[in-house]
Amino acid sequence: MKKLLKSREISSFLFLVALFLIVGIINPNFLTSSNIVACFNDSVVYIIVSVGMAFAIFIGEIDVSVGANLGFTATVVSCMLRDGQNWLLAFAVGIIIGALMGLFNGWGVAIMGVPSLIFTLGTNGVMRGMMYVYTGGAWVENLPAEFKKLYTNTLVGSISVNLTLTVLAVIAIHLLLKKTKRGRYFIAVGDNPAGAAMVGIPATQTKVAAYVICGVLAAISGIVFSSRIGFVTATSGSGYEMKAVAACVLGGISLSGGVGSVIGASIGAVIMASISRLLVFMELGSTYDNTITGILLITIVVADSLMQRNTAEKNRRQRLAARTLSGDKAKIGGGDHE
Amino acid sequence: MNKSFLQKLKEFLKSWEMVLICILLAEFVVFGAANSKFLRPALLFNSMNDFMSICIISLFVTFVMITGGIDIQAGSIVGLTSIIIGVTWQDFGLNIWVAALLAVIVAALCGALSGFFVAYCGVQAMVVTLGGSFLYAGIALLVSNMASTASYQGISGFPDYFKILSKYKFFGVIPSQLIIFLILTVLAYILLHRTKYGRRIFLVGVNQKAAEYSGINSRLVIMSTYVLSAMSASVAGVVLTAYLGTAKSDLGSNFTLNIITAVVLGGTLSTGGKGNVVGTALASVVIGLLRFGLPLCFGVGTQYLDIPVGVLLLVVVVARSMGSHPTTANLIRKWKERGREA
Amino acid sequence: MPEKALLNIKNIYKSFGMNAVLKGISLDLNEGEVLALIGGNGAGKSTLMKIIMGIYQHDKGEIFVRGEKVTSNKTSAALASGIYMVPQEPMLFPNMTVEENIVIGFEKKGSELHKELTELMTAVGWKLDLSRKAGSLSIAEQQMVEILRGLLRHAQILILDEPTSALTFDEVESLFRSVNELRAKGIGIIYITHRLTEVFEIATHVAIMRDGKIPVRGLVTEFTREMLVKGLLPPDAQEKEDTLKEQMKAIDYEHSRPVFELQKFSGYGFTDISLKVYQGEILGLAGVVGAGRTELATTVFGRDKVLGGKAYLEGRDITGLSTRQVIAAGLNYVPEDRHYHGLFKISDIAANTSSAMLGEKTMGRFLLNRKEEYRLTQKYVDDFRTKITGQAQLAGSLSGGNQQKVVIGRSLSTSPKLVILDEPTRGIDAAARGDVYSIIHELRNRGLSILLISSDMEEIIELSDRVMTVCQGRINGEFTGEDINQDKLMAASFGITEKKEAGA
Repeated sequence: MKKLLKSREISSFLFLVALFLIVGIINPNFLTSSNIVACFNDSVVYIIVSVGMAFAIFIGEIDVSVGANLGFTATVVSCMLRDGQNWLLAFAVGIIIGALMGLFNGWGVAIMGVPSLIFTLGTNGVMRGMMYVYTGGAWVENLPAEFKKLYTNTLVGSISVNLTLTVLAVIAIHLLLKKTKRGRYFIAVGDNPAGAAMVGIPATQTKVAAYVICGVLAAISGIVFSSRIGFVTATSGSGYEMKAVAACVLGGISLSGGVGSVIGASIGAVIMASISRLLVFMELGSTYDNTITGILLITIVVADSLMQRNTAEKNRRQRLAARTLSGDKAKIGGGDHE
Repeated sequence: MNKSFLQKLKEFLKSWEMVLICILLAEFVVFGAANSKFLRPALLFNSMNDFMSICIISLFVTFVMITGGIDIQAGSIVGLTSIIIGVTWQDFGLNIWVAALLAVIVAALCGALSGFFVAYCGVQAMVVTLGGSFLYAGIALLVSNMASTASYQGISGFPDYFKILSKYKFFGVIPSQLIIFLILTVLAYILLHRTKYGRRIFLVGVNQKAAEYSGINSRLVIMSTYVLSAMSASVAGVVLTAYLGTAKSDLGSNFTLNIITAVVLGGTLSTGGKGNVVGTALASVVIGLLRFGLPLCFGVGTQYLDIPVGVLLLVVVVARSMGSHPTTANLIRKWKERGREA
Repeated sequence: MPEKALLNIKNIYKSFGMNAVLKGISLDLNEGEVLALIGGNGAGKSTLMKIIMGIYQHDKGEIFVRGEKVTSNKTSAALASGIYMVPQEPMLFPNMTVEENIVIGFEKKGSELHKELTELMTAVGWKLDLSRKAGSLSIAEQQMVEILRGLLRHAQILILDEPTSALTFDEVESLFRSVNELRAKGIGIIYITHRLTEVFEIATHVAIMRDGKIPVRGLVTEFTREMLVKGLLPPDAQEKEDTLKEQMKAIDYEHSRPVFELQKFSGYGFTDISLKVYQGEILGLAGVVGAGRTELATTVFGRDKVLGGKAYLEGRDITGLSTRQVIAAGLNYVPEDRHYHGLFKISDIAANTSSAMLGEKTMGRFLLNRKEEYRLTQKYVDDFRTKITGQAQLAGSLSGGNQQKVVIGRSLSTSPKLVILDEPTRGIDAAARGDVYSIIHELRNRGLSILLISSDMEEIIELSDRVMTVCQGRINGEFTGEDINQDKLMAASFGITEKKEAGA
């Protein structure tokens, strides 16, 4: 367990605990098990999107089309379910849409070399428009009750089946990333691209794979989203891309790539998902939601960036200092060995 | 310097701006042919009111992107400006012009804050302005809560002498917004292409290290571009508020894609160092007319308009990187050689 | 022969565009050998190594690994055939642990790899905390990790590229111990270095690389230090001297005043530097790359922190001023890395030339004075006979020599009293080199003081009135008049000073 959770994840987790405690002190009504479990239950959609986003960030890129991807898959899948199609078929179609979008993003970024923010901003716009085309702007409602029940089904106490599955999946993905040869490539490509080439890692393939995974996870989160909300509108999923980035950063993933874990992303997602609930208990109302997200995001990236710069600078100086002989060593190094 | 007029003309004909002008003309031809209403001056000029904010902001986001950065917070500053004007005027009793000035100053500070983090702390521009877009939209919402009216209604009832800013029509047809845009385009053009400051922006974007070795304070230059783009967003917010007659905190929230597309389509290199105010201005009008013409002439719903804009962005960036991609560059060369042999 | 051949390189050629870098290289490495490869900067060592690693493809010639001809040119193929290169600056994944860094890219189970790795470490006798983050390691430790990476891949051929350039004395000791242990295990090592003392300490064989060829190679025992120094010099070295030299008026040091002075100046990469540059003098600063000369120049230029000492320009204290202020005070710098620090590639020549002048009123108060910019640019284009199609030509499309002229023009535009030229002719062809030399002479005749940094001894000799050598961050010699010759400068640059020479 110690190995599983490195310090970055632990500090995110402690931050989450502190957040809950502070709110609990301000309003003791908050600290009930049902409230806390609800916080986690409601994070499932965010966790899945954020884990996908984590892959894009691991390799040093970004994908701001996940929100539209989520919305579009939610729309398509919901329409199919509403029309009484086979569930498995609907889910498969949704996941394939997500994978194709990821593949397209991966092509643009890794193969064509377009800056990822600009490319995915474009696909985001296109997919958002496609949602309107698909539904004509109408809400998708009247989803089968059993489908909506999928979200509310509980396992033990009030812990939902979804949450359990998600947590297990996150742990599985984490292990795959840490324990398998190819899993490690994602982090490696983002950590030191030149160094990755030196040990023979296929950088382009890895980047495309990261985008496909990101797309698939966004699609899955879209399915969970429609099960949770029960209807899909033309703006469903907008803003999720931003929240997912924020969740990753909160979870200790460095935006320059190569640092962090999907567990961190999940913890960050729980924080992001809980903020509005916490604000209610602090009697501030959800109007503070964006402000606090913005402040958190900026504070953490600035701190992270300054820390990284310091280490880089320290290493550079150490390297240069090592080249310089100090007075007494000059004597030993030069003379005695001849 | 000592080029003949003819040479200059030749160069211009080959330039990207010329391509944009051709696209503009094509838009007039296609939309005009599909629906002759498109060509009615009154309607056409009136349509411009709807996208002038995007045009104005794009001009100065160009500055940011030339330095190699990006600004996705400009949209949120439009809303912040609008709501500050509304609340300080309605609830704090400020003079409307003082309120507008105050809003521009606040916007400048917001830009300075984000610019500081980008330039002096070395954080990626994308993340800082992403955080900024949350933060400033959030602050806008908080400000709107100070109002005595419900936030979804917005604040209206502004005096006519304020609304005239955007409602006045020169010669009865040309909206004042268009004039404001033209003035700002000239201003931005002079600032970027004619001043020492503009030269510094380019040099920093081309090679920040080399700029520093030339004694240029590159960090200050970078930060200043964010201040400028935030101020332009704020001016757009003032103009938009005056035009709509309502101050709302969520104005401009969906501008980002359009702004970035305008700048990129205008010929600005997303890696920095190259860009052009005239190109951006033309590109933003191209996008604006697209958003006006498609619904009018082809019955495309306004909600779908992100598709053509997004596609436009993707096509431009992919085509550009294809041009520089080694395999395609080789193909093009071979193709040219074959042409020469034949 | 009892040794088994590991690597045979036969007649390798490689050009980059018009620039021939390798001109027929042959090299052999057998089991248990340490082959020291020495040579000046730009001799082609790193290109050769990159070809061996499959990063570059050679134009002509053959490479055999264990007798089999190499056909694939992929890094992964080179790795699979048992070649591993430890680059000069370790290329680890800073955010991964030591163990993760070493085992990355393996199919096998983590536990098996861990076992193999610990066995390997006990075998070579190294102690490293495997759970530490690579970013927190010292450079020596990072190099150990790189070597372990190679060994775990069962590398039979290990390439060490200047492994000691960033190491402290103790770390060098431990590295040498490891090299000896590896050699005893039958691993072949190519050891690239700048330091001649190390050759005798660690190598079994030595090869000297110069100008894309290997003119000298053999057993270390067959060589003396003097022979190596001689081998590093071009064969016609003696004849070439005294060409331009005689035209130079000698500096009258007694009546001249120092324009620029450093007193016990220290910073990152250099310590305790004291020197004076006189009016109208060219002071050569010789040394190998990494000796701290560029760091010295950039620190004076306000790009890095001053750790101690003082810098004076015409009696004025300029220690720790910003780049802008240093330029205004009358000092300018032509950077070593033209592409990274010098040139605005996608800007036109006019913008490049005027870039350092933007702070001046002559370039306009607010609006840019295009006429003045044109005049200034044309002046330097004419003076330096820069070949351009027009001022609007983009700097990136010029040849290397003309690019350098543009960068020199930029530095002179601010009318400095002292200009620091850092490797002014690196990567430019012979004709352009002649042009740059005559520019430097012309500047000197006009009374400008010049601090010339170069690893090219011929260049130093041809241009300098006086020479100081820098070795490992310190000044270790000063030469004037007759003493300025290749043998002495080369020896001092490689850390062999007169005194020790006498003792040895």
